[in-house]
Amino acid sequence: MLSFCTVSGPVPRLLEDFAVGDEYESPGRTVTEADIVLFAGLSGDYNVLHTDAEHMKASIFGERIAHGLLGLTVQQGLLGRGVPGYDGLRLESMRWKFKAPIKIGDTIRVRARISGTRASDVPGSGVVVIARQVLNQRDEVVQEGETEHLVGRRG
Amino acid sequence: MSARTDVPAASRNEHRAFFEDLALHQPLETPAMTLTDAHVALFTGVGGPPAPEPGAVPDLLPLCISSGLGWRVPTPPLVVLAFMGFEWRFHSGLRVGDTIRSRSTTVVKRSMREGGIVIEEREIVNQRDEVVQSGRLTLLVAKRAA
Repeated sequence: MLSFCTVSGPVPRLLEDFAVGDEYESPGRTVTEADIVLFAGLSGDYNVLHTDAEHMKASIFGERIAHGLLGLTVQQGLLGRGVPGYDGLRLESMRWKFKAPIKIGDTIRVRARISGTRASDVPGSGVVVIARQVLNQRDEVVQEGETEHLVGRRG
Repeated sequence: MSARTDVPAASRNEHRAFFEDLALHQPLETPAMTLTDAHVALFTGVGGPPAPEPGAVPDLLPLCISSGLGWRVPTPPLVVLAFMGFEWRFHSGLRVGDTIRSRSTTVVKRSMREGGIVIEEREIVNQRDEVVQSGRLTLLVAKRAA
């Protein structure tokens, strides 16, 4: 494991600071019942999948599952937490797949790899592409996708 | 995920929309929500990244809010069995105090043995009617019990 955070502190990271192939694996975070309840309240998404334990006993999951967007939110936080100076990166676009449920008590982490960098049409800026996998405690991929971020560039 | 959640009898009588009920190309607009510091604090509390700067709204928060706004339209809520994926573009940043709502249209319906795949186009607009985020979401939706 290596980090793409050799530059840290208040200096914004520029296109030239990202090397394709650099990988980072975040710390883990256990997704709790409280997280799901809070996320339902925050988002207003009270789908029975996330909020009705009795209904879900009869489902193939057997229990409530986390909102997909909660898992997405948690991995975004984990990536920012693990890489100093990275949390300021704004999202430009993304493609994302929810592959398996996250259940209460599951511990997820994110594995990220710089999969591409390119100069943007906008002078002085570039795009960094990050391929991400969200893994649970059994190393199963529960979510994966690619995010694109607009950054400044020197050249 | 190809998961099918069985719909128990008690839920069948509820006012809900199934795959068969969904019409293509019918735009639906949600009520609006003003984004506050409280939203940002809760978002960070469940593990999201902190706001990039004071007063800014984290990029993923509007998408999360739009998922709940979709439950507040005058049509019955869709029986979504699984959120399978999405493609999304972030056109411009939002600030605390901005008011968002979402507009969506079903553009694809594909019937499967268990349920059906639905692709929805969604735009999040601000109080000036500017599209701030947009994309396509893929959902697995329940069919009516035979």
